[in-house]
Amino acid sequence: MVEQRNIKPAALTRLQEIANDPYGCLADLRKRKRIIGSTLADVPEELIHAAGLHPFLILGTNNPIRHSAALLPDNSCSLARSNLELVVGYQSAFFDGFVLSQVCDTTQHLGDIWKRKFPDHYFENFLTPRQVARPSARAWYAEECRRLRGALEQYAGRAITDAALRESFALYNENRALLRRLYAIKREAPALMTNREFFDAVKAGFFMDRGEHNELVQAVVQWAEQTKDHQASANGYFRVICVGIVVEPPALYDMIDEVKGTIVADNLCTASRYIFYDVETKGDPAEALADRHLRKPYFTPINEDVRRIYADLISLCRDNNGEAIFYVHIKYCESQDYDLPDIKAAMRTEGIPFLELETEYQTTHLAQLKTRLQAFCESLFTKGAQGGVR
Amino acid sequence: MTAASAKPSSKELSRVLTEGYLLDARTAHEHGKYVAYTTAVSPVELFVAHDVIPIYPENHAVACLTKRMGTELSLAMEKQGYTSHLCAYARSDLGYRITGKSAMGGIPDPDFLLACNAQCFTLTKWFEVLSRKYEVPLFVFDTPQWIREPGARKEIVKYCVAQLKELIAALEQLTGKKYDYDRLAQVMAYSQQASVLYRRFLDMAAYKPSPISIFDALIHMAITVYLRGTPQAVEYYQILCDEIQAKADQGVGVIADERFRLYWENLPVWFKFKDHFNLLKSYGANILTSLYVHAWSYEFDLAKDPLETLAENYCSRFSNVTLEERAEMALDLFRRYSMNGSIMFVNRSCKAVSFAVYTLKEIITETTGYPALIFESDMGDPRFYSEAQIKTRIEAFLETLQRRQAAGA
Repeated sequence: MVEQRNIKPAALTRLQEIANDPYGCLADLRKRKRIIGSTLADVPEELIHAAGLHPFLILGTNNPIRHSAALLPDNSCSLARSNLELVVGYQSAFFDGFVLSQVCDTTQHLGDIWKRKFPDHYFENFLTPRQVARPSARAWYAEECRRLRGALEQYAGRAITDAALRESFALYNENRALLRRLYAIKREAPALMTNREFFDAVKAGFFMDRGEHNELVQAVVQWAEQTKDHQASANGYFRVICVGIVVEPPALYDMIDEVKGTIVADNLCTASRYIFYDVETKGDPAEALADRHLRKPYFTPINEDVRRIYADLISLCRDNNGEAIFYVHIKYCESQDYDLPDIKAAMRTEGIPFLELETEYQTTHLAQLKTRLQAFCESLFTKGAQGGVR
Repeated sequence: MTAASAKPSSKELSRVLTEGYLLDARTAHEHGKYVAYTTAVSPVELFVAHDVIPIYPENHAVACLTKRMGTELSLAMEKQGYTSHLCAYARSDLGYRITGKSAMGGIPDPDFLLACNAQCFTLTKWFEVLSRKYEVPLFVFDTPQWIREPGARKEIVKYCVAQLKELIAALEQLTGKKYDYDRLAQVMAYSQQASVLYRRFLDMAAYKPSPISIFDALIHMAITVYLRGTPQAVEYYQILCDEIQAKADQGVGVIADERFRLYWENLPVWFKFKDHFNLLKSYGANILTSLYVHAWSYEFDLAKDPLETLAENYCSRFSNVTLEERAEMALDLFRRYSMNGSIMFVNRSCKAVSFAVYTLKEIITETTGYPALIFESDMGDPRFYSEAQIKTRIEAFLETLQRRQAAGA
């Protein structure tokens, strides 16, 4: 098949603009709705949406740390520090309130400090279950959804009806389905769009009105469906499994693009964990949200089986014919710190090429990462898929 | 023990009880018992009532860190790919697993693991590593933050009671024995009595001069950590209270000329224990207490369902309440013990306790008007302890207190 020139649609350009500068769109939205910021990974945004509020996922800043250094020690995870910095230093005026989820020691404290810093803002903790192995976890997640629903109703000054919730579920399900479809096409036709473009398209949804996001993603999917056959050649690309919580700074995607790695599967909170599985629109809404939560891919701080930290990665890699795993490690993320040695050992045993990319908001040394990535790829291909574990 | 005296001293009893406890744990399997690793703050009463001997890797780590083995053990685990950013207890423990080096002859391997996250999240991850290593089950007792909403607290208790029932089922599966709730009631009664006595001991810091310092509290808390729920712990704290009360009655203080009564935030720097005590003593300063040592002052309500009172108590530890409530807990100690300054340690090892320290300092100094010193270091690894710098800062702080006192502040 003859490859044609790949002209990207305007919808994709718009999604990328929003992903890389979300605050312009936030200012517009705030004229219509109150903005509720939330943090990764498990706040059910549908509840905020059904209350007539706008959920906005706070993903930190790469601007220099000036304010949060006085509030959190420098050995706290940089995502937490950077989230706090963004809100304290730069964007507090954009938000009307916050719902912060607690998944580890850092996020627990972050919530308390945050609440004290913004006494005039609406604030709610979402107490995510930190075990998912037993029936009590499902009941607790559902209960927290009910509590959050009540709290949001009080703040919004209106009832969140089951009908409104189901509409939100349907809207978010549509969003997830569109993104999953786009991901599937990207997998089939790696030349169609870059990693950066795809993950930016997902990321834009964290900030935008969901209906508008759906329209833009729909347009991109249509373009992708029409164009994919002309861009199907996988020549020159190698299949990457991207693992971690977030990929920040996003320039990391550009680096993977530069070495012609195409991400075919991931377990990122900002990708598969966000778009996989829908919420059942029948039955009790809180329980439906709990069911979705428990079906999500493995998440380093909380998992039901201690072996999943590597077993899931091995399956993810094998099921998707991955040629290498790139593990994005946020510096000072304790969960990842504890997991990594056993994960690396398992990858060695399995013979899966594995590269750890340590990142830190503000201080990631991109040139060093690039060199590591290039050296790994060189070794991977010159030594016949024996990139090893680094 | 002297021939004339009927009762041993608390020191003698502590030694005997500790030796007996370790012997029981080391020979558990010979006696049809099981060994479970658990976190210092966890509903260990459920184990005690079911012939499961609790072992605390944290306590073992403290013994190693106090003997200044922290760096050596940490380096061993760092060589296996772990980072030096992790909790020093975990580093010491994982280092022990690699080298076999221990300050107390090691601890037996586990049959079961219980991580209660009221204390911290780190332990869950650390125990995950051990669960993979020993191929034994890990039970995470998830205690959501004890937020200040009565409705939410009611639901948290329900969630935790459901989990405790799941834990009991897991223990029955481990041992093949049916759980004995009558025995649990008895264990709860011992635990409650020991907790009351332990709190009485800690509260003796309110005397002027104080007959105890935080260093005494840190030594004597060991028994309530690992023998909670036994009659031996009750006996021990009764003897201890009697001894300290006698000192208080005679006006004997730890520091003869007690000038400053201080609050300590965080865990101690285990390997600088004695040095800190001596430095403070030379200025007439005594650190009386911390929220950390109060973490084992449980208030079990025996009139309630045992699982409910366990859930309430283990969720409401200082490390699991909101920052606002934690500050109130500290301020309550300030008032009750008439303290007039704080030393606040930002402990690289303990994120769960340390991440709140800057904000706590703000609240405590604003409310009390008393000065506070913050210093950063690590509780167990001398590589992160800057000797001269920290000493100078503590001395400067004590001199500030002296000047304030001289000025009549």
